Amino acid sequence: MTENLSSRFKTESSASAAVGRITGLPRGYGDTKIIILPRDPLWMYAYWEVASQAYAELKKKIGEDKLSGGKWMLRVYDITGVAFDGTNSNRFFDIAIGSDIDNWYINVGELNRVWCVDVGVITPDGQFVSVARSNVLGLPRQGVSPITDEQWAILQQEFDRLLRLSGVDKIGRSSFDLTKLMRERWEEIVSLSLPSSFGGASSGARPVAPEEARAKGFWLKADTELIVYGATEPDARLTVQNQPVTLRPDGSFTLRFYLPDGQQEYLIEAVSKDGDMKRQITFVVGRETK
Amino acid sequence: MKGDMEPRGYWCLQLHAHLPYVRHPEYPDFLEEDWLYEAITETYLPLLSIFEKFVEDGVDFRITMSITPPLAGMLSDNLLQSRYYNKLNKLIELCEKEIWRTINLPQFNETARLYERQLKDCRRIWEKYHGNILTGFRNLQDAGKLEIITCCATHGFLPLETYRSAVRAQVRIACQDYERHFGRRPRGIWLAECAYVPGIDEELKKEGIRYFFLEAHGILYGTPRPRYGVFAPVYCPSGVAAFGRDMETAHQVWSAEMGYPGDADYREFYRDLGYDLDYDYVRPYLHDDGVRRNIGLKYHRITGKVPLSDKQPYNPGWAMNKAAMHAGNFMFNRERQVEHLSGMLGRTPLVTSMYDAELFGHWWFEGPNFIDFLFRKIFYDQKTFTTITPSEYLEKFPKNQVITPAASSWGDKGYYEVWLNGANDWVYRHLHKASERMAELARENPSPDGVRRRALNQAARELLLAQSSDWAFIMTTRTMVEYAEKRTRDHLLNFNNLFEQIKRSQVDERYVHELENKNNIFPLIDYTVFAAEAR
Repeated sequence: MTENLSSRFKTESSASAAVGRITGLPRGYGDTKIIILPRDPLWMYAYWEVASQAYAELKKKIGEDKLSGGKWMLRVYDITGVAFDGTNSNRFFDIAIGSDIDNWYINVGELNRVWCVDVGVITPDGQFVSVARSNVLGLPRQGVSPITDEQWAILQQEFDRLLRLSGVDKIGRSSFDLTKLMRERWEEIVSLSLPSSFGGASSGARPVAPEEARAKGFWLKADTELIVYGATEPDARLTVQNQPVTLRPDGSFTLRFYLPDGQQEYLIEAVSKDGDMKRQITFVVGRETK
Repeated sequence: MKGDMEPRGYWCLQLHAHLPYVRHPEYPDFLEEDWLYEAITETYLPLLSIFEKFVEDGVDFRITMSITPPLAGMLSDNLLQSRYYNKLNKLIELCEKEIWRTINLPQFNETARLYERQLKDCRRIWEKYHGNILTGFRNLQDAGKLEIITCCATHGFLPLETYRSAVRAQVRIACQDYERHFGRRPRGIWLAECAYVPGIDEELKKEGIRYFFLEAHGILYGTPRPRYGVFAPVYCPSGVAAFGRDMETAHQVWSAEMGYPGDADYREFYRDLGYDLDYDYVRPYLHDDGVRRNIGLKYHRITGKVPLSDKQPYNPGWAMNKAAMHAGNFMFNRERQVEHLSGMLGRTPLVTSMYDAELFGHWWFEGPNFIDFLFRKIFYDQKTFTTITPSEYLEKFPKNQVITPAASSWGDKGYYEVWLNGANDWVYRHLHKASERMAELARENPSPDGVRRRALNQAARELLLAQSSDWAFIMTTRTMVEYAEKRTRDHLLNFNNLFEQIKRSQVDERYVHELENKNNIFPLIDYTVFAAEAR
């Protein structure tokens, strides 16, 4: 529980990732504190730090023997409806934590209660010594309130109907999160294609789009396009296939066409600015795929 | 709906327009800035264009839209504006080439022409507002059609803030920034991720905000029981109103099985010309690194459950038909819903639908057309319900039940797990420490001199930018994670450096100047907002 052990993570894989994340950020701030945050109606997240000074004081207070033989614990107090003074919780439970851990997800097991957490040590003789006490946290309320407002009373049966119309059965069951929806679509597309088709392209907020799906094994793809280019007087009017073309400032132009099988004619016509001069060129181009 | 007859119900559409603040003057070309450029072309300009045509055509409508402070900041930023204009012109150039190239590909030519029309319409509006399209949205607000609301200053996730001063700063700075852009105080706010815990409304109250939005269970699990479910707003004990989300309309758009955007006739997002075109030809339209990516032109439709190679050509006519059909279906369902509810509620029901604005256009290409058809149909073809903004509703119906809403969010599973899990929980100890330090700095420096003041204001900017919920969200989605981690880290490091410099009274003016240019959000920020009590 010393400072140099801070910022450890729970699993091997996330521990290695964590190293990159915290580059440059302090591993701790020399504080002795614990903070609890709400995740959902049954889970909260706790992170804590015990400064080396606080550790030294603890050692002095309970003795080196008891500290080294003791176990680090989170003591989770249900303090619903009480002004908590450390002794008057409704109940509490302990979670054993390794001395090198500095954060934990706590399942409280009971809905709609208010919580407070101490981090501390249980000595071999069973005494809990608190090192830091958290903020007070009521987790998100789940379920319809039993309390009815007299001024806005409603029959139970009607209220049940209203809840159904309000979509109470859909709460938390499906998400309308845009990126999640799109990711699912993407995963579906990927699953329809051969596994080798997508070089690990992942998806999400702005997914990297894939190479076009192709068959496994040896393959060949080819197609043809035609480039028509040229130049005329910069102020002339140019049409190709009777469609006007915008000339570059020097009077040149480049057009690119998809070239399908068969014979195509490309009519290029330039008309001078005052309309009295005209030039035409026609290309006849054929493609045959064998 | 035309005429003066009282409708049997109301529909409130709230669109949440947001992107994190991504602006990198230090690079000539930056990939993540595309988030903004794509959203301008595909969502913000098409919506603005449609709204303006409603006004021209005398189609009365009401839409509520949150334009978040980071988005408003980017839309009004000169550097990003000029970069966008270049991007748009390049894309138009490619479109013009594409019209020629596809002359012998009739199955694609019509779609190429559609893109050309749309992009040129974008350019027309962009030029009309000299690059600042916020003016267009503001005009619609001033005309009483659109209600623009604010959001937490940098989309900070308020339930995971432990310091009250940090919550206050997210709200107050947002309101000040709103005034800068829209010339008045915001009436409503979109809480980032719709994330609420009881008590946040007190901070809203202090800024004069009258309402916010909640996920359905925020209302349904409130205390005491909500008499009208989600079909009427409630007042929090602070007096601020909360509007709950209607799940039926959410499902009609989102459900994987029956949702509109997945229709086979609609455009396929994932089949993009950036991958299909000849490399030399498309190269000038890719980023500097030359890697093939989406460029935003797509010629295929969803088709069905098929691999990308089997997607069929997009047919603009079929897609427009579908958008019109879906709009008709949506309106029909609202009429039935409103009739049914008004019968049983004993009060005129309000149905509140909220969506990410970027759904319309960016992901669901025909989404803006859907909105176009829908509001025209609502105006001309029925008399059952009208559209309304929350402000108007509260004026008409000021008497509402007082309840304490339940903590909730609109994220997956309805609470906070998306923003608090093994992929991102490490950020909070650093964010909280920075909030604590910022409050400390603010209390210790009530009236600093020039450079010190600038350093304090920049420290506040860096803290706010680190607090964006977008970073934690991206870490969870597992794409672009490195960028999100880097942004979190960089802003925290900048903050820590400024903190040390201010504490030691050794402010490096050049460093402050550099950060001011780079992370220039909130030009008028006043760090003293953090001086409030610690918790």
